[in-house]
Amino acid sequence: MLSGFTEKYDVVVVGAGHAGCEAAMAAARMGLRTALYTINLDLIAQMSCNPAVGGIAKGHLVREIDALGGVMGEVIDAVGIQFRLLNTSRGPAVWSPRAQADKKLYRAKMRQELESEPNLRIKQAEVIDLLIEDRSAGSLPRPVGVSPTRREVASANPDPAGPRPALRVRGIRLRDGRTVEAGAVIVTTGTFLNGLIHCGENQYPAGRSGEPPSVLLGEALRRLGFEVGRLKTGTPPRLDARTIDFAKFQAQPGDPVPTPFSFRTKAISQPQTVCWITYTNAETHRLIRENVHRAPLYSGQIKGIGPRYCPSIEDKIVKFPDKPQHQLFLEPEGMDTYEIYVNGMSTSMPIDVQMAMVKSIAGLERAEMIRPGYAIEYDMVQPTELFPWLETKKIRNLFLAGQINGTTGYEEAGCQGIMAGINAGLRVQGKEPVTIDRTQGYAGILIDDLVSKGVDEPYRMFTSRAEFRLHLRIDNADERLTPLGYQLGTIKLKDYEAFLEKRQRICAATKFLLETRLDPDSRAGHEIYSRLGLMDSGRFTAPAPLTGAQLLKRSELAIDDLMAWIGEGLRSSGGDNGPRPQGGDGGAQGPGEGVVHVDSLTREEARRVETDFKYAGYLQQQEKQMERMKRAEARRIPDWFDYRKVSGLSREVLEKLTKVRPLTLGQASRIPGITPAAVSLVNCYIEIFQRRAAEQASK
Amino acid sequence: MVSEDTIVAISTPPGRGGLGVVRLSGDRALEITTSLVKFPKLPLDTQRATLGIFSELASGRALDQVVVTCFRQPHSYTAEDVVEISCHGAPVILRYLVECCLERGARAAEPGEFTLRAFLNGRIDLTQAEAIRDLIESQTLYQARVAAQQLEGSVSTRLQPHKQVLLDLIARLEAGIDFAEDDVAVIEWQEILARLDRSRADLQKLVEGYKYGRIVREGLTLAIVGRPNVGKSSLFNSLLNEERAIVTPLPGTTRDLVAETANVGGIPLRFVDTAGVREALDEVEKIGVERTFRAIADSDLRLLVVDASEPWTEENTLLLQRLRPLGALLVALNKSDLPPCVSLVELEGMVQADLDAGVSPSQVVHTSALTGAGIHELKEKILETAAPARDLGLEGEFITNLRHQQLIQDSLQGLTKARQAAVERLPHEMLLLDLYDALRPLDLITGATYADDVLDIIFKTFCVGK
Repeated sequence: MLSGFTEKYDVVVVGAGHAGCEAAMAAARMGLRTALYTINLDLIAQMSCNPAVGGIAKGHLVREIDALGGVMGEVIDAVGIQFRLLNTSRGPAVWSPRAQADKKLYRAKMRQELESEPNLRIKQAEVIDLLIEDRSAGSLPRPVGVSPTRREVASANPDPAGPRPALRVRGIRLRDGRTVEAGAVIVTTGTFLNGLIHCGENQYPAGRSGEPPSVLLGEALRRLGFEVGRLKTGTPPRLDARTIDFAKFQAQPGDPVPTPFSFRTKAISQPQTVCWITYTNAETHRLIRENVHRAPLYSGQIKGIGPRYCPSIEDKIVKFPDKPQHQLFLEPEGMDTYEIYVNGMSTSMPIDVQMAMVKSIAGLERAEMIRPGYAIEYDMVQPTELFPWLETKKIRNLFLAGQINGTTGYEEAGCQGIMAGINAGLRVQGKEPVTIDRTQGYAGILIDDLVSKGVDEPYRMFTSRAEFRLHLRIDNADERLTPLGYQLGTIKLKDYEAFLEKRQRICAATKFLLETRLDPDSRAGHEIYSRLGLMDSGRFTAPAPLTGAQLLKRSELAIDDLMAWIGEGLRSSGGDNGPRPQGGDGGAQGPGEGVVHVDSLTREEARRVETDFKYAGYLQQQEKQMERMKRAEARRIPDWFDYRKVSGLSREVLEKLTKVRPLTLGQASRIPGITPAAVSLVNCYIEIFQRRAAEQASK
Repeated sequence: MVSEDTIVAISTPPGRGGLGVVRLSGDRALEITTSLVKFPKLPLDTQRATLGIFSELASGRALDQVVVTCFRQPHSYTAEDVVEISCHGAPVILRYLVECCLERGARAAEPGEFTLRAFLNGRIDLTQAEAIRDLIESQTLYQARVAAQQLEGSVSTRLQPHKQVLLDLIARLEAGIDFAEDDVAVIEWQEILARLDRSRADLQKLVEGYKYGRIVREGLTLAIVGRPNVGKSSLFNSLLNEERAIVTPLPGTTRDLVAETANVGGIPLRFVDTAGVREALDEVEKIGVERTFRAIADSDLRLLVVDASEPWTEENTLLLQRLRPLGALLVALNKSDLPPCVSLVELEGMVQADLDAGVSPSQVVHTSALTGAGIHELKEKILETAAPARDLGLEGEFITNLRHQQLIQDSLQGLTKARQAAVERLPHEMLLLDLYDALRPLDLITGATYADDVLDIIFKTFCVGK
């Protein structure tokens, strides 16, 4: 067998960006000996683009990462310098937290978190190759360090979409010649694979600004036969705060009471700062228009596809010529730095044009640039190469997560990271993989979209991608995912206990509101019924007092109005209401000897209860649809299923199904271009093949 | 696999036979049946025929005596609960029954779906699997064909603009949610309501055109037109006489109009006899004539009666020209018992040539009021011509139409809920839930809408993103 490894780990993670950190942490917390490899130890969890975490839909992802036991939420809570809960003018399903980060502190805090994990080792080294073992019958074990050629990959596994890959990853090779054995390898290389930076007419290979690209590993992945695509993203210039006249801008303060990302964060205590809003103007636009031929995006220099939702400023001017101005946000990169991030001015224009653009804006006339904006092209692997647990279909025990799968965003990366970490861990433990379905979380939507549809532009999460948006809220992410995290080992016992207590408080409050009628003669009753116009000169006019649930249906009332009544009611009911939710081995033993103080319902918990009552009709409507999706999801397509034997499928449909190899009929139905008739044809053939197999077996 | 919904279809061949059978399969088959058909006693015996009365939903008016047989799962063709309802009625009654089932929550079955269920539920063994495969393939082909037809014209094309209005609204609301940080103008409630109302009115119009129920409920008006002595009155009488139940003779609305209502195949058919058309042609200025032609125009269907034993006249041609633009038209070549003056074929050709010049649907029937020949056929034609869907010959297309009707109805329901949500000023994400409920049924006709399609509209319409 393979020998001569210098080191051995259960799980090896390549790349210490936002995906890599979560992946390594999850695997380590599951009890696996894990190593995290990075080209530069000082740039762990670098925020290469904007100094912020969260935002609409992205905030949801962070909550889910956190609910599963990930680290991103706690880290940003510890180093966030401006917190805002977005979308509060709409319903609670689309509220989403966002925070400006102190970039330097974010890196430091993340490194501290990683280093405090006993099963995790952090290593600085460039990984240049994957060591692959060919386990197909008759073939000899491959000597260490020799990757199979593309043709060998193809011949070892003639039908790449076929059942079980004969290839398996055994470890990694480092640039210094060492080899590391691994039970599973997770590749999270971000923009580093064959990264190419563009800044005006200049272009040079880089992973991020100021860092070398990862060329050899990129080559290795291509050689292994993965379908590789090329994407582009960009970043704006950074300015020196001492040269900016902030008086010209509109200040954007954070929320007076910051909303933390993590369910485990009690409060945000560090000092907070403001951001500023300003706009481009006719002069800025003129400069861009006159120089657009020098923009790599329009000169043909950039071939990769950029994200439409994150357009460069030159893109905005060209595509929306009638818009007189574009919004810009000036965001500090930290508390002890003068560096300012100009959100909204992502550009790859030549530096002289960038300078002129910046100076055309009122308040930035004297601004000095600390770093120019740039665009970067990089390799990605089509995520249709992956199973929904993020393992590659071609090579067993090899996982990909983050930007390499065609996504953008720290949050999208982190989310894939934790799922890849968990599944790599399960693989090594010899257990079945875990996936989250579209009814359970944005994490499930993200990964299902990626592996079912592939990407043709960098993928970002939006709430409109969620079929069951009302159900997938930030306030119930723990309800949806924390039990799973605890079961997997990524959620610690004490955190799980805290979750159970919270759940119990919510149950008790729900029960109270359902069962208790507000007495019109009580002080709270008198006040609230008066407000509803149900009191006439001190006399209650409705046929019967209303329950809390009924009161909450009234648009005039919010849960805040009932808090005093609920608190009193819960206290008087003895503090321990209803059956305690069962939570696995010993999980139910709380620190307070099983006594739960249900009266300490927090404001967020109360809001959660309120949402369940106020929108009960819509939530139930969605639940029915969720049931339907779950049923389709339950109909599995066996891995031996051969689409070529299904007559009646159009060639286009056949190609798509063979490429994606959906695991369930539900997944098949979500692939664009797959008609309901094709799905029912596949369903029918599953039955035919299965019966045929059973018949043969009985002979 | 247990199917999640209850399906319904007419399971006898198209056209008017002695009996027609409507079949339901699924958990709710029995419940739906007993909600539509009145039985002397419940519960029904299984595997035994029971007599019942199928009545019109709104009025409770009895339409047909039916024989119902139910098969409890797994002892049925599909291994689900199956109910078979045999009717005597005209195709329109069968279709109305199916429509009622849809209203009660069934879904129109796809072609071959009963057999597919039977197979998936293990009722058909592997040796028969090839047949199933053919069936499913034909289903795929059928859907492809329907899709192609739809792309070429008709329903999909008509729906596309309505769907676009809906999609634009969805995109605007989604942009507001997902790009709340960008300066996307918030759409006003008044604007939302106006757009919803426009969509609703449009779809309502579409769905009205499909309604078989409307015919059953309101009946049809047939205007009988022709020169004097061509046998209008005797044809009129034999149409009435052949039916067991003459309902009520109604007084004519004017002196020259006589109207009577008869039950033809369960449909109240109102005959309007229009004497005096001859004068009409000569003395156009007469007020009564105007009225006569208004009544003819207001009818659902016109029957021109021509005496086949006489030579073709100029007058016939004039009448045809006058009637053609008014809509559905039938021509009866009456007195077919007498020796024809010109050969029948020639005569038919003449009528046909005249009809062909126009665009109206046309059919020619040979009748004899004296012998009763062709009267039955005429009634068939009357029912078929007046039913709004013109393609009644093909059951498959009927299903398609019925399915469309059901889907558009579903869509309307979503829009109605959305309107309510807008009136109550509910948050946009709730309103959107209703709008997606309205969009999804249309998707089934025009092709799926993916989240990316909505994003495409957003990115084309708004300059969003930082």
